[in-house]
Amino acid sequence: MTSLLGWNESTPTLTPIDSCSVQLAACGCVSALGDAAETHAALLRGERALALQPVCGSAGGDPVPLSLLAGRNLDETCPPSWLAPVKKLMRGCPDAPWGGVRHPVFVTSSNFGVGNLFAFRRFGGLSHLEYGTPETSVSVIARELGWRGNITILSHACVSANLGLMLAARQLASDIADEALVLTFDFLSPFVAGGFYALKILNSEWPAPYQARDVSAIGLGDGAAFAVLRKPSSGWIIAGQTLHNEMHHFTAFPAGSGGFAACIDPLVRLASGRRLWIKGHGTGTLESGRLEAEAFRRACPASPLVGWKGSLGHTLGSNGLVELAVALESLRSGRIPGTVGSAAPTFSENVSLGPIVDSSFDGVVCASNAFGGAHAALLLCHA
Amino acid sequence: MLERYVSCLGTDDAGVEDPASIRARLRGVFTAPFGRRSTILGLLIGGVLRKALERDCGAIVYASAFGESRTLADFLDSFPHPSPTLFQTSVHPSAVQQVMIDRQRPVTEYFPLAGGRCLVARALLTALLSPADRVLLCGGEERGSWMCDHRMASDRGFAFALALERNRNASTQGRLRLEPIADAGGSLSAAPWMMSSSEWFDLLQAGRGYSGPISAEWRLELEWS
Repeated sequence: MTSLLGWNESTPTLTPIDSCSVQLAACGCVSALGDAAETHAALLRGERALALQPVCGSAGGDPVPLSLLAGRNLDETCPPSWLAPVKKLMRGCPDAPWGGVRHPVFVTSSNFGVGNLFAFRRFGGLSHLEYGTPETSVSVIARELGWRGNITILSHACVSANLGLMLAARQLASDIADEALVLTFDFLSPFVAGGFYALKILNSEWPAPYQARDVSAIGLGDGAAFAVLRKPSSGWIIAGQTLHNEMHHFTAFPAGSGGFAACIDPLVRLASGRRLWIKGHGTGTLESGRLEAEAFRRACPASPLVGWKGSLGHTLGSNGLVELAVALESLRSGRIPGTVGSAAPTFSENVSLGPIVDSSFDGVVCASNAFGGAHAALLLCHA
Repeated sequence: MLERYVSCLGTDDAGVEDPASIRARLRGVFTAPFGRRSTILGLLIGGVLRKALERDCGAIVYASAFGESRTLADFLDSFPHPSPTLFQTSVHPSAVQQVMIDRQRPVTEYFPLAGGRCLVARALLTALLSPADRVLLCGGEERGSWMCDHRMASDRGFAFALALERNRNASTQGRLRLEPIADAGGSLSAAPWMMSSSEWFDLLQAGRGYSGPISAEWRLELEWS
C-alpha cells in the first residue's frame, strides 16, 4: 500500500490518495424513489422525493422537507420500519460467507437505531431498546442476514459510508480479505429531523444545491446501500479515495477552506486523461455549496457538477454510498441526472441543472462532507 | 503480521467519578471555553490525548461503544425544543472533534468506530492498516445517566490514547503486533473470547503485556519496554 502523494504530516492539508484500487463488484441502494435503477430514472425525470412533513412526526411541528421510504412514518415502530427495506435491499447482494474471516463486513451509519431510542424515551416500550445503540441495531441486521462476527461498525456523520469503503479497500489490499461488504443505512426520525431543525438549516424552504440565493436550506431523506468490493480485475473500480478533516468548527468552514481541494485535487490528478463528471455533496447550505462548487471549478473546470440532495434529501451517513449506486447507474447508461431542485444563477458555471446524455464520460468523482469539516471523495471509473 | 511501536500512552480511569468532579479535575489542562463546554467524554479523551498531540499525526482511530451517551440522553430530553448544541455534540465522533477543534488541528484521517463485539480488535486493525507514519489510537466511555439502567451506556468512565509509530525510536515504550489466528497456528474455534474495551483499558492502565487472542480472527502481542 503506497501513497501517491506521499505523507507530509507537518502540512496536513495535503491529502494523500489511498491507492488501494478495488473492484466495485456489486452495488445497490434504496431511497424514497426506489432502488438504484428506479432512483436514477426518477432523478433523470427531475422528480423530487422530498415533501413537507411535520418535523416531529405525530407530535407535529413546522413542516420541513423530508423524503421517507414508501410506507414509513417519521415515528419509529418496533421492530423498526427500516428493517424490512434493508433486508429487501440485501437480497441483491451476492452470496458469500459475510462476516467470516476473509469476508469482513463494514456497517456504517450516522444514526443507526436512534429513532427507537427516541420512541422509547418519548412514548415508552422497552422493546424499542433492542435497536437503540449502534451495536444492538447492527446485531439485529447481522442476525437477520446470517452474518458471522467479523463486522466493523463506523459512525462519522455524513462521511460514514466513505470510511467503510476505505477500510474495506485497505483490507483487500493487505490481503486480509478476499471480498468485503459495506452496508450503510440511515433512516429519519424526530431525533434527526429535530436536530437539524434546531440548527435552523432544516426549515420550510426547499433545498436548492449550488443555487446562489439568500437562504440556506437542506432536506433530509431515508437511504440505505451496499457495495461488494473485490481486488481489481475488470469492470468498475474505485481507483482512489481521499479523506480530510478540517477540525475548525462543527458546522462552519474556515475562511478560504482548503478542505474541499485537499480531497478533490489528488483524485482529479489521478483521473488525468479521463473525461470526468462530478457528483458533489451539495446539501443546499450556502457556505459549503459555494466552497465546493468553487473547488471543483478550479480543479476540473470542464467537468459538469451535479448534486441530487434537492430531490433525495440528505441521506446522512448513507449518502456517500446511496449516491455512488446512482452514479454507477449513470456511468453505465451514459445518462447523468442534473441538479434537481436548483435554478440559475448557480455558484459556478460548471453546475449542471439539467440531465446530461453523454456516454463518453469514463469517470466520476463523488464527494461527501460532514460535521467537523470532514471531507471524503472517491474516483469511480472503468478499469 | 502487522506491527507498530507505542511512543506515547495516556490513560484515565474515571470509574464512577461524577461529571462535576471530572470537569473540575480536568478544567485546568484545557482552554477555558473547552473546559466549560466540552462533553464529559470530550474531557476524558482530551486529557489522555494531550501528550500524544504534542506531535503531528496523520490519522486518528477512535473506539467507543456508547460515545456521547450523556449528551444523547440530554438531547432526547430537550424535546419538544431540541437543543442545537446538544445535537451536534451528541454525534458519535464528537469527543475527538471537540478536542481537535479546540486546538484547530486538522487531521487527514479520522476513523470513529462505534462498538461491536470485537471493538478492540477492529480498532487495532484499523490503526495498524493506516498508511500514516504516526497514528493515534484512542477511545473510552463516559459513565452514562439514565441510559445505564438499560445497558445503553457504560457504567464506568475510562479513556486511553496511544501514539503508534512505524519505526522504533528514542521514545518507544512498547510494541503492538497483530497476527491472524490461522497464521499463528491456532484455529478459529480455539479463540476463546473477545477482549472488551474495559479489559483493554485495564491492560494499558496497569502497563501489562499480553499475548493471546482478542477476537476470532486476531491474536495480539503487546510488549512494554
